[in-house]
Amino acid sequence: MSITLPSINLIAVAPLIVLVIFAFLALLSDLFVLRGKTALGGHLSLLGVIAASLFSFILWGIEDLTFQRMIILDRFSIFFNLLFLLSAALTILISYNYLKDQEMDYGEYYVLLLIATLGMMIMSAGTDLITIFLGLELMSISFYILAGFRRTRARSLEAALKYFLLGAFATGFLLYGIALIYGASGTTNLQGIVEFLKAQESPVNPVMLIGCGLLIVGFGFKVAVIPFHQWTPDVYEGAPTPITAFMSVGVKAAGFAALLRVLLIALGDLEPNWSGILWVIAVITMIVGNIVAIAQDNIKRMLAYSSIAQTAYVLVGFISGGELGMISVVFYLAIYTLMNIGAFSVVTMLEKKGEENLLIPGYVGVGFKHPLLGLAMAVFMFSLAGIPPTAGFIGKFYIFSAAVKSDYIGLAVIGVLCSVISAYYYLRVLVVMYMREPEGEVTPRNRSAAASLSITITAIGVLVLGIIPSSILELVRQAVRALI
Amino acid sequence: MEGIIYKIVFYLFAVLTVGSALVVVTSRNIVHSAFALLFTFFGVAGLYVFLSADFLAATQVLIYVGGILVLILFGVMLTRKVFDVKIFSGAGQVFPAAVGVAVIFFLLATVIVKTPWHLVGERAMEPTTAEIGKLLMTDFLLPFEVASVVLLAALVGAVILIRKEVRPPKVD
Repeated sequence: MSITLPSINLIAVAPLIVLVIFAFLALLSDLFVLRGKTALGGHLSLLGVIAASLFSFILWGIEDLTFQRMIILDRFSIFFNLLFLLSAALTILISYNYLKDQEMDYGEYYVLLLIATLGMMIMSAGTDLITIFLGLELMSISFYILAGFRRTRARSLEAALKYFLLGAFATGFLLYGIALIYGASGTTNLQGIVEFLKAQESPVNPVMLIGCGLLIVGFGFKVAVIPFHQWTPDVYEGAPTPITAFMSVGVKAAGFAALLRVLLIALGDLEPNWSGILWVIAVITMIVGNIVAIAQDNIKRMLAYSSIAQTAYVLVGFISGGELGMISVVFYLAIYTLMNIGAFSVVTMLEKKGEENLLIPGYVGVGFKHPLLGLAMAVFMFSLAGIPPTAGFIGKFYIFSAAVKSDYIGLAVIGVLCSVISAYYYLRVLVVMYMREPEGEVTPRNRSAAASLSITITAIGVLVLGIIPSSILELVRQAVRALI
Repeated sequence: MEGIIYKIVFYLFAVLTVGSALVVVTSRNIVHSAFALLFTFFGVAGLYVFLSADFLAATQVLIYVGGILVLILFGVMLTRKVFDVKIFSGAGQVFPAAVGVAVIFFLLATVIVKTPWHLVGERAMEPTTAEIGKLLMTDFLLPFEVASVVLLAALVGAVILIRKEVRPPKVD
């Protein structure tokens, strides 16, 4: 029996390969370094992220569908690659000092971080439900472990267990959905599904619809929309703060990248069937997420609910559909990545050993004592609330104008009203930081050059995108065009 | 004649699967549940054989019966007091559960009846293992490789979560 190997273009997956190699190097480097000097693993990982970014950057413009139509290299996947790698790099920067301070500086942390990034990249580039599923699992498993990385704290372990148990169920739903779609269409390939739906007289097929619904449940859990959000506040609170930062942006961006490919493109013919469900989910998520966030005193929980609400805005762009809708989704995800990692970087810097100083009242007077840190936090909070001239405003503007153009005026109105509600809890942080007399000493315990660099990059990014959005909008447009 | 035997054996396996699954959820003794699960797994493996999926049937026996079930039994037996604890499997919320089950049953039944299924028709029993191996090395090469990284991540994670906390001596 002879097997003819299919022709494979390894160039198309070069960024993935580079990342895997560096993950292995980081894992092995642990063998040779002294205990407690895990920064080497971090440096190697950072180097790997930079190398993978370079590869992605060079490949911009090249298109290739390879590995038997399992994975694609196009501008869309490269754009998301760069987004994930940027989040990973920023996370590594804020982790260095944090890990040492919290006495959890084990090298595997960085290895899992890279593997999670790899999973995200596979998700955004996958053109087959199997590939997308494996990418999702790769990412999720790494995050289950990373959430429980601070093993000495009960909360961290609770977060890991909760995330794992609920995540396993979500995975089950997703897999069941994939199986049903395969049962209906006879293929797991996205292109194949499109062809199948086109060939049908009416695309409405009960198994297909249930499969589609289960996919929405599975992905809804990963990107944390209500009613699949119960795990979010607890996991975000319990996980180490840099991991929360990475999780809150990376998992969502990867989930939406896959959703764009699967729902909007592959199952696009079923849009009348799923857009109603998403409409309801988006409205509930916006309203409940924003209102519950008001009641939070712990900053990590507040940002958790805020991230749920932010997901809903992305969902509004998603429902609007069309080129403008997709552009608004991708653009907002890029902005959200910057501002949310930035906000969590500040939280990381102010966090004291053993989860101290996570309550918002503990931020009293930070604005005076540490003007630059306060200024950065102000930029992030303004951006999250969607106030000009920050990037958050431009992002929301695009999303809501896409909604209005697609005749989802109700959705846009609810979205704007909810943004107004959200201003309350975002600005409350600033009120505490700037308008109250400091009682005790607040020192940024985790201040380090690396973490400051992360905050600087994100703050400047948020401002630049807010003032000259065209700089990145053109890239987003090209990325979305590759998808259509 | 052959068709009748075929049917009888199929329904035997089906009854075995569903019946033992019922015991798993209704039994108040966790050890009984675990042993009943053994028959469920075997029944499913039998059903795979009926679908001409010999490799899948063998894997089902190896992984579920050989691996997961033994793990569960070890877990049960090594955990002290589990033997005596009466696990709660009573009927706490009969009404909501009944409604939920009815809705899902109705939904699934409708789907099964209404869908125009693709039927592959009769298939001769052929060994599938070689074909699966071939596909893993050709069409499904990428998922195969990614799965290996998934396993690595899980392995690293398991080690991290269970190892002893060793702190290096503080250097000031």
